[in-house]
Amino acid sequence: MTIKFLLRKILQILLVLIIISFIVFGLVYVAGDPVALMLPDDASQEDVEILRESMGLNEPFIVQYGLYLLNMLQGDFGESYRYGQDAMSVVLDRLPATLELAIVSIILAIVVAVPLGVWSATKKNTSLDLVATGAAVIGKAMPNFWLGIMLILIFSVTLSIFPVSGRGTPAHVVLPAITLATGIAAEMTRLIRSSMVESLSQDYVRTARSKGLRSRMVIYKHAFRNSLIPVVTIIFLQTSTLVGGTLITETVFAWPGLGQLLIQAVNTRDMAIVQSSVFVIAILVILMNLIADLLYRVLDPRIKSK
Amino acid sequence: MTHESHTISNEVRPNLIKRPSALKKWWRLLIRSKTGTVGLIIVVTAIIIALLAPVLAPHNPAAINPANMLTPPVWMENGTTEHILGTDNLGRDILSRILYGSQVSLIVGVSSVVLAGIIGVTVGLIAGYFGGFIDSALMRLVDAFLAIPTILFALVILAVFEPSVFTLIIVLGITNWVAYARLVRSEALSIKERDFVRAAHSIGVSNFKIITRHLLPNVISSFIVISTLSVATTIILEASLSFLGLGVQPPTVSWGSILSDGRDYLATSWWLATFPGIAITVTVLGIIFLGDWLRDVLDPKSK
Amino acid sequence: MDSKKYYLLFLMSILVLVLAGCGGDEGTEEETGNADDPETTETEDSNGDVEDDSNGGAANSGSSDDRTLTIALGTDMVSFDIHDHVNTSTEAVHINMFNYLFKRDNDSGEIEPDLAEDYEVIDDTTWEITLKEGVLFHNGDELTSNDVKYTLERVADDSTLLEYINYEVIDEVEVIDDYTLRIHTETPDPALLNRISRIGSGILPADYIEEEGFDHFLQNPIGTGPFQFVEWVRDDRVVFEVYEDYFEGQNEEWDELVFRVIPENSTRVSELLTGGVDIATNMPPSEWDRIESSDSTYLAQEVSNRTMMVFVRHTEGYPTEDRRVREALDLAIDNQAITDNLLAGAGVPTITRVAPGNFGFAEHLYETYNYDLERARELLDEAGYPDGFEMTLHSPRGRYLQDAEIAEMIAGMWSQIGVTANVEFMEWSSFVDMRSAGENEDAYILALGNSMFDAANALDWYNYERFEGEIDYHNEEVEALLDEAAQNMDLEEREAQYIEAQELLAEDVAHPVLHQESINIGVNENIEYQPTMDEMIYVDTISRR
Repeated sequence: MTIKFLLRKILQILLVLIIISFIVFGLVYVAGDPVALMLPDDASQEDVEILRESMGLNEPFIVQYGLYLLNMLQGDFGESYRYGQDAMSVVLDRLPATLELAIVSIILAIVVAVPLGVWSATKKNTSLDLVATGAAVIGKAMPNFWLGIMLILIFSVTLSIFPVSGRGTPAHVVLPAITLATGIAAEMTRLIRSSMVESLSQDYVRTARSKGLRSRMVIYKHAFRNSLIPVVTIIFLQTSTLVGGTLITETVFAWPGLGQLLIQAVNTRDMAIVQSSVFVIAILVILMNLIADLLYRVLDPRIKSK
Repeated sequence: MTHESHTISNEVRPNLIKRPSALKKWWRLLIRSKTGTVGLIIVVTAIIIALLAPVLAPHNPAAINPANMLTPPVWMENGTTEHILGTDNLGRDILSRILYGSQVSLIVGVSSVVLAGIIGVTVGLIAGYFGGFIDSALMRLVDAFLAIPTILFALVILAVFEPSVFTLIIVLGITNWVAYARLVRSEALSIKERDFVRAAHSIGVSNFKIITRHLLPNVISSFIVISTLSVATTIILEASLSFLGLGVQPPTVSWGSILSDGRDYLATSWWLATFPGIAITVTVLGIIFLGDWLRDVLDPKSK
Repeated sequence: MDSKKYYLLFLMSILVLVLAGCGGDEGTEEETGNADDPETTETEDSNGDVEDDSNGGAANSGSSDDRTLTIALGTDMVSFDIHDHVNTSTEAVHINMFNYLFKRDNDSGEIEPDLAEDYEVIDDTTWEITLKEGVLFHNGDELTSNDVKYTLERVADDSTLLEYINYEVIDEVEVIDDYTLRIHTETPDPALLNRISRIGSGILPADYIEEEGFDHFLQNPIGTGPFQFVEWVRDDRVVFEVYEDYFEGQNEEWDELVFRVIPENSTRVSELLTGGVDIATNMPPSEWDRIESSDSTYLAQEVSNRTMMVFVRHTEGYPTEDRRVREALDLAIDNQAITDNLLAGAGVPTITRVAPGNFGFAEHLYETYNYDLERARELLDEAGYPDGFEMTLHSPRGRYLQDAEIAEMIAGMWSQIGVTANVEFMEWSSFVDMRSAGENEDAYILALGNSMFDAANALDWYNYERFEGEIDYHNEEVEALLDEAAQNMDLEEREAQYIEAQELLAEDVAHPVLHQESINIGVNENIEYQPTMDEMIYVDTISRR
């Protein structure tokens, strides 16, 4: 099944990528060209027209998209007008910074969310559970930018523990990672809790408990292990949220990653950069989903039988 | 939100909505749940505030007053009872702004979710019911949308269309429908194999009727669960868009825009950003509590 | 490569933590506002925090031994192609590695030779310039006339370059010998010296570019300036080091120069307050108190060459077509209230776009404004709007100092004379698109700079043809004056013409003028810096205390 399954998946992914390229190209096309933005504040309409003509931006949509798709198939994602170089290489340059932030954040989120979720599931419906849920909700309800600025004010300006912004030493990643991790940890906590609640109510866990196995043993050995599958899936499915969060977190912390690049690119209508980064992000998300899918198949026998 | 489907889908659920006695049952279930009650109270209060904002607000939320800039809340030094929660950098009354802001935040939150729901449920039902080519084509579209983070999508669209309450609803609606489509599709897949649907099909009932009469009522409950949580997420997303300058534009106010405007004053005049922040947090808390309770009620497994 | 090692170490330590967290009994920590999270990682990081700044990260500066100057900018520089950007903050960086032939002295407003030794006007369209000898590029090549020819002709000939429109008047650069050249202009250009002492005039190394190609130059730019390029990590930092053989002598104060990009205002201020950066540009008024009241920082201010104005439609059918309506709108605006309340006193009310320090500055129109509500109401009445009217005011948001706030305040002021202005805020690129499509309505707000420091540039806005369909202002008397002045080589007469034009414009209330903006820069207490009106950051003028 594996090879056939994989082939089908790859075909699907290619299709999805083409759809994405169409959606994004269409959006950016409608967004208008960057010409007016490249000129000074007091440029006249005539100046704009001259430049637009010289950049070959007067072609119709289908022609432009067709050319784009053709070039893309040859690995050419266009040139960024702002950077004057191959857009994809600009994007790939930024990827490590964003991955660093994302990986540290997700690890932080796991460290907090897994114990908290398990713990509040075992104490379901007590006031402790309520406090944990409340904490998770507050974590989810705080917008990234607000949390980021607050963390800077507290931990950098007042307490001088961490540097304010930028990327460099490991200390630099701490505050942005906490900012990014909070919302995700909150989401994870809630999902892990409900997944744990479910497996704790399974018959075999109850049986194990009634046989007098120590409660902690039951929780960790049986229930937790069993709810591990959805938990792993959940983690992989957070990729999209995570990448979305980097847009704002990177801006607040002047973190030189993909998120900041994208915001700049949208603001300056740098079509090639927007295209390339959405592409890279989409491939990342799809890849993560694929892994989640595969894990699910491998770990959960029930899926196969379907 | 898609992962919710793993816990809820493939489950046969009693059709609670259609039975009149269900209301009573819900009420009893609600009183038994502490969090559910708290959630309901918060949500109802928020709705009442939004509806009565023009009556409750002591000032015009857009009226600027240079003489009264950055007045602190009433309990602090220099605070006045005139502006209980203080004023912002243009001398506008923060309490009034928060009261009015609730309107936009809730309208954007609820309407966009309803819109997303309508698109998502329709696509999901069609894909799940017809299957085959239509299904795989629609699902690839869903995959494509899923692979682009919502905020990124909104960012690009809002760069084209001027941000307003209306465009925000549309944007958040069309970026969020995929979650519903996936869920509803899997529900529809399992339901359509059941006997009553097959029976209806065999006696020649039209596809449209089968979908609206049999499939739709059966997916409604899972839709409600996800959508409550979605309202909460949307309120926060709107705030993030405000941070990027793409939220509602003045003189319209939303909690997100007040919070975002106040961010330059976090260190000097904390009240600008704190009160809208509290409003968002409390409301989101209420909505999530309510949503959790709804799930417990609608999903017999987790009882 | 060092950072990678650290990073690996960090990741591994996190991993250990994760494993410990899962295996051990610590599964019960509570997540309250994340106060716990930094603690779990802090012990792993603190060694890399303050002492270890070898990567040039947030170098804690301010100590007198620190010979690295770190400056925080709000936006990254655009490109090292000096001809293909029109961005003041990019030029503010370039200025430290390139030199112009002439340089405007910010104190006197005079344009003085820099790379040039001397100049002579041969005839109306010919300027002879002699170069200083012994000026070296960062690769050791000597500067010659050929480099000047290459630089100026490149931008004067290639219409795809963004600075082209400012240089097309240059016809040819003729090389006489290694240190003598002649610039021929197509038409007489009295503002030529202004033109070549600004963006696009930094002299490029012709031989280096010819040998290595322009793309190589963009990656490894060299110039003649006091600092030479080290690296540019986009949206993060641009690093320079001191150039020992600078023709005016090596900079004694700084060994290294770092421009960091920090887009979020409050983050930039926090970096300044914690000593992470020495200088931070574009400080918002909301933070001025914090910067002033801190022991370690101060606020350095200077008027800028940017004037904020309300541009109104003169197109037929718009109320603002009527001079009386325009005057009423202008009279209803209390310019001083805006600068006092929204700009904390930084900003100078004016009724002309040409700022002091510019050629053609009309002093009697500066630092003054008209405000008279009574008269404004009368004028509206006379114009046939006794009950006022409704109009749209467009404003960018976050582009200029307090732009959105100012727009709202103006709308509030106009409501006092019965004019209802619906303020519409627009994201900058949409705002630009709206204007270039001529879809602007009654009025919009804009703050315009002028890197030429010449009235010609500033007053070009009043030419009918230039903004036909967008503004439609048509004043033949003014246009005749501007046309004459543009090519008038008699500078005294030229100045008088510009002043007269401004008087006519003020009388006609062509567009209500608000105020001249200010430059607001946060500086570390240990550093001496006074910003200049041209918004350039000359590191040569920055010193330790």
